[in-house]
Amino acid sequence: MTPKNNIIIGIIVALLVIASYNVDANPIDFVEGLPNLVIILEEIVAVEPKYIPTALWAMFETIQMAFIGTVVGIAIALPLSMLAARNLNSKFVYAPIRALLAAIRTFPSILWALLFVIMVGTGTFAGVLAIIMYTIGFITKLQYEAIETIDSDPMDAVGSIGVSKIQLISYVVIPESASHLLSQMLYMFDYNIRQTSILGLVGAGGIGFYIINYIKFFEYGKAAIFMLVVLITVLIIDWVSVKIRDKYIIKSQHGMDVPTK
Amino acid sequence: MKQIQMTTNPSFSLISTKKVIQMSDVWSSYDSKNFALEGINLSIDRGTIYSIVGQSGSGKSTLLKLMNGMMVPGKGIIKIDYVTPDMNNKKFKTMMHTIGYIPQSLGLIKNITVLDNILIGALPRLNKIQSLLKKFPENEVKEAKRILQLVGLTGKENRKVYMISGGEKRRVAIARALMQKPTILLADEIVSELDHVTAHEIMDLIIDVQKRTNLTAIMVHHDMQLALEYANRVAVIKDGKKILEIGVEGDNIVDFQTGDMTTEEIMEMYSDDPKK
Repeated sequence: MTPKNNIIIGIIVALLVIASYNVDANPIDFVEGLPNLVIILEEIVAVEPKYIPTALWAMFETIQMAFIGTVVGIAIALPLSMLAARNLNSKFVYAPIRALLAAIRTFPSILWALLFVIMVGTGTFAGVLAIIMYTIGFITKLQYEAIETIDSDPMDAVGSIGVSKIQLISYVVIPESASHLLSQMLYMFDYNIRQTSILGLVGAGGIGFYIINYIKFFEYGKAAIFMLVVLITVLIIDWVSVKIRDKYIIKSQHGMDVPTK
Repeated sequence: MKQIQMTTNPSFSLISTKKVIQMSDVWSSYDSKNFALEGINLSIDRGTIYSIVGQSGSGKSTLLKLMNGMMVPGKGIIKIDYVTPDMNNKKFKTMMHTIGYIPQSLGLIKNITVLDNILIGALPRLNKIQSLLKKFPENEVKEAKRILQLVGLTGKENRKVYMISGGEKRRVAIARALMQKPTILLADEIVSELDHVTAHEIMDLIIDVQKRTNLTAIMVHHDMQLALEYANRVAVIKDGKKILEIGVEGDNIVDFQTGDMTTEEIMEMYSDDPKK
């Protein structure tokens, strides 16, 4: 540990204390609040089981919203990513596209949801639109970065036989980056399910809509049941997508044989 | 004077003159200070095998990139069949498919099949709809399978490229170039990193194809012995300059032109080479 490191750590600790004071983040309040969890637990046990099918249905609705949002978002994002990749386009093409995508990315999904609730009214459609916009902003960055890292030799070799730009993209760029793109799409779907679960907080449908309303009416037990459903679903989807990635994608990225079944 | 050359495949370019590639006082650089090539002159006859030999960083790969228009020289003139190779030159663009280029790393697409890699050579002949639907006409698929057999890859057409051996990968790269129906083949160190037997198999294959189709093959090597064994002419490049050009007929050297270096210096340079 050099004196310089000590100074840096000291500064970080000092900033932490000052910021915590400013935002009123008191660890004592956290400890004192812990018994409240017990009250919530008691309420969960008291909730009638008839609410569980509703929670599951709301979760299913959320998954469908995330699915539409992800698929449509990616369909729009893929051509934009091709235009934003520096190894495929001149500065005059990729620079404005990147600026546009950066602007889209500045908004978190909940702000998009708020905007679409104002535009098309409350409900799941506003949530779907929000997920589409968020997906476009988020996945294009991952995709054009993946495209930029592909080996330039196949592109040079195929480019030198006089093929068109479209041919180069569909016969070289997409196959070469396919495993990365697929892995990112899977991750995006997984991520969008979590996001869609909270969009209901601003009235954009899905399971979050139930959660926020139960909380408003102090029905913490019911809210907690719905939150548990979200937690379990997210865990399952996370586990499934890790399995899919391991089995079909990671191996092909490392040039190993990919089982076809 | 123009002459008609007979080839086994009538779709190969027929009308030709003797000199196919000419370079006159070509200078090239990657940045403003260091030159990769300094005043290269060379001329290559149609239907011959021309080898370029040199150590790493001598500028030999740059020479190939100048010939297929991927790079343009800072100074000097290059003509391929009287056309200046430059990707922005419309006339050259229409003849790019006649130049097969195999980079040192082969440039194969590793997670598609051997057959699909070979078919890429036919891309310039597809119309927009075929290209969009990824639907190659029956005759092209047939031709790809014929070439597959020619390069000795029968039965491997549905293997993914990352599943095949280094020697087989080179055969795929050769097959893809042949699928273009080229008149010129540029190959960058295609047999380096291969064992002796496989290297000779690949070279024999190229010679066989070259004879069948009257290709002009320009091959970069770092092994002088291999170059002398297979080429009609060998140029030696050192630090961006052509220091030597040798004409070979069978086992005999028929023509010997030194550039800026003396014969003694050249012999000394290659005496340390373990492959020599």
